[in-house]
This record gives sequence, structure tokens and C-alpha cells, in this order.
Amino acid sequence: MAEGSLIFISGGVRSGKSSYAERAAAGLAIKTEGKLHYVAAGKAYDPEMEARIQRHQDDREKSGLNWTTWEKPSALEEISENFNNQDIILFDCLTTLLNNELFRAEDVWRNREFQENLSSDILRAITEIRNKCRALIVVSNEVLNEPIGKNELVITYSKILGMLHTNIVDMADEAYLVEAGIPIQMKGEPE
Amino acid sequence: MHFITGGAFNGKSGWVKGFYQLDDTPHKWISAYHGEVAGDLDQNLIVYEGIELMIREWSHALEFEEIRDKWQEMLAKWQEWEKTAVNRKIILIGSDITKGIVPMEAADRKWRDASGWAFQDAAAAADRVDLIWYGISQNIK
Repeated sequence: MAEGSLIFISGGVRSGKSSYAERAAAGLAIKTEGKLHYVAAGKAYDPEMEARIQRHQDDREKSGLNWTTWEKPSALEEISENFNNQDIILFDCLTTLLNNELFRAEDVWRNREFQENLSSDILRAITEIRNKCRALIVVSNEVLNEPIGKNELVITYSKILGMLHTNIVDMADEAYLVEAGIPIQMKGEPE
Repeated sequence: MHFITGGAFNGKSGWVKGFYQLDDTPHKWISAYHGEVAGDLDQNLIVYEGIELMIREWSHALEFEEIRDKWQEMLAKWQEWEKTAVNRKIILIGSDITKGIVPMEAADRKWRDASGWAFQDAAAAADRVDLIWYGISQNIK
């Protein structure tokens, strides 16, 4: 595993993408004697979300591995300085980060310049973190296979997300689509 | 005939431009996203993107059978045209809209069903089909 690796993992809701990402991160940490970090974009706004976050945390604890958790619902670029080349970082997930960023202030998402800055900031943050660490795993969602309709917010969200995914896959060493718990390798050398 | 599909904003058009080196190749690009409709076959390489939008237009006025007949007729016409010279090719690009929750509106359900059929027919008529996932192609036919 080369230093500064970038791995992209995407899948539908409950596809097992997060567990696969955790297994992949743990595997890398064992192989490289690296340190595991979990960067969560999700913030608990309600009990359901709290329970979901708790379940993920419990799962990680049960794994017997030592995870350091960071909560970063926005401004991902701010945490890059905390990492070094021993770190294996799992970022979960890009769709949540984009949600948080787009809804930061009422109508700001309509601004074209804001949209462009937002996507370039996210891509820059990913590049910076990747360059600092041993491996960065980015988890995201498959949400672009249904009618988008005429809602401008949904169109904007879809467009930015698709653009981010395409750019990240382009930058990535490996990319996986997880279907029903099974990771399908879309990019990179097969193991 | 080459049919390209995949989710919205997955880099399908970008892939086609790279694959066929369209920057250096004469072609006609028809985009349903810009309200354009399939017109004259006046270039040897013709790209038609946004098939799902064309189907949506049709589904306002036509019944399933009519949509399918009309589409199959169009595909057959293009296949004939391709046969008249060796370097003629039609490239069809369609965004997959079939994997979400069943739409609330009957019109949207009709559109989605009709698109699914249209994509099956396009894939059957095509010599080659590629599925694009964030710029990465999977050749599925």
C-alpha cells in the first residue's frame, strides 16, 4: 500500500458500504501497523440519528481495534493537519458533508460561486488529508439513479455530488461499488 | 450503434467525448437537455444525449405501446442509416432513472416505466453498451 492512498467506496442505503469501509481500514491498519481514525460528517439532530451513530460506534469498539473519532460536519479541510503518514482515515460520508455544507445558510446554495467554491474546497480537503496520511477512505452514497425532477435544490445537490464522485474516483487508487454487502471493484489492481 | 447509460451526473458525456475523441472528430451533438430533438442525419457520427427526456415528452401524449413502437421505429431507422456507410454511427446516451422509490405522481411512474423499456430496446439494438459509474466504463455488451 503506497503512502497517500485514496480509496472511494459507494453504495446504496444499507448496502454494507460502511462496514466494508471499516473492514478495509482495519485491514490496512493491521498490515501497516497504522493508526485508525474515523471522521464522521454526521451530526445527531434527533434520537434516530443518535442511535445510528451509536450503533456504528459500538461496532467499531467491538472490532477490538483502537479508533480515534473526529466529528466534522463541515469544513473538512480544517482537520488535515492532525494526521501523519501512519494514519488510516475513514471518512463517512460525503453525502452528509455536502448536505451540511449546502444547508449552512438559508439561500446561499443558489449562488454559483458558492457552489464552485464548495466543491473545490471539498476536493482540496480530500487531497490535503490524503497527502498527509497513509490511506484515506471516502465513503459515499448512490443517489443518482432516480428521476431528479425540477427542484432546483435537488438538481444542484445531484450535480455537485456527481461531479465530486467523478473527480474523487479519478484521483483514487481504488474505487468500490458495494451491492448487498459485496464490494465490486471498479478501479485499481485486484488484490 | 452504441448505447451509454448510468446515473445522472456520472460523467457519461465526458466519457463519450474522450472515447470517441470528439475534440478532433467531426460529429453532431444533439442534447435533449437543451431542448433539441433528433433531426437530420447529416454527420457520420451522431451523439444523442438525454433519451430519457425525449421519452418524458412522448409519455405526456402517447400510450406505452405507441411510445415503444415509435422508439423501435427510430432505432430501426438509425440502424438502416448506419448500414449505408462503414463509418456511420449513432451514439445514444440515457440517464438511468429507474432505481429510486416508486414516484408519487402517475405521470412520473409512466415516464420511468417507459424509460426502462426504451433503454432495453436501445441496448438490444446497439452493438455495444457501456455503463458509466463516475467516469469509469463497464462494457456490458
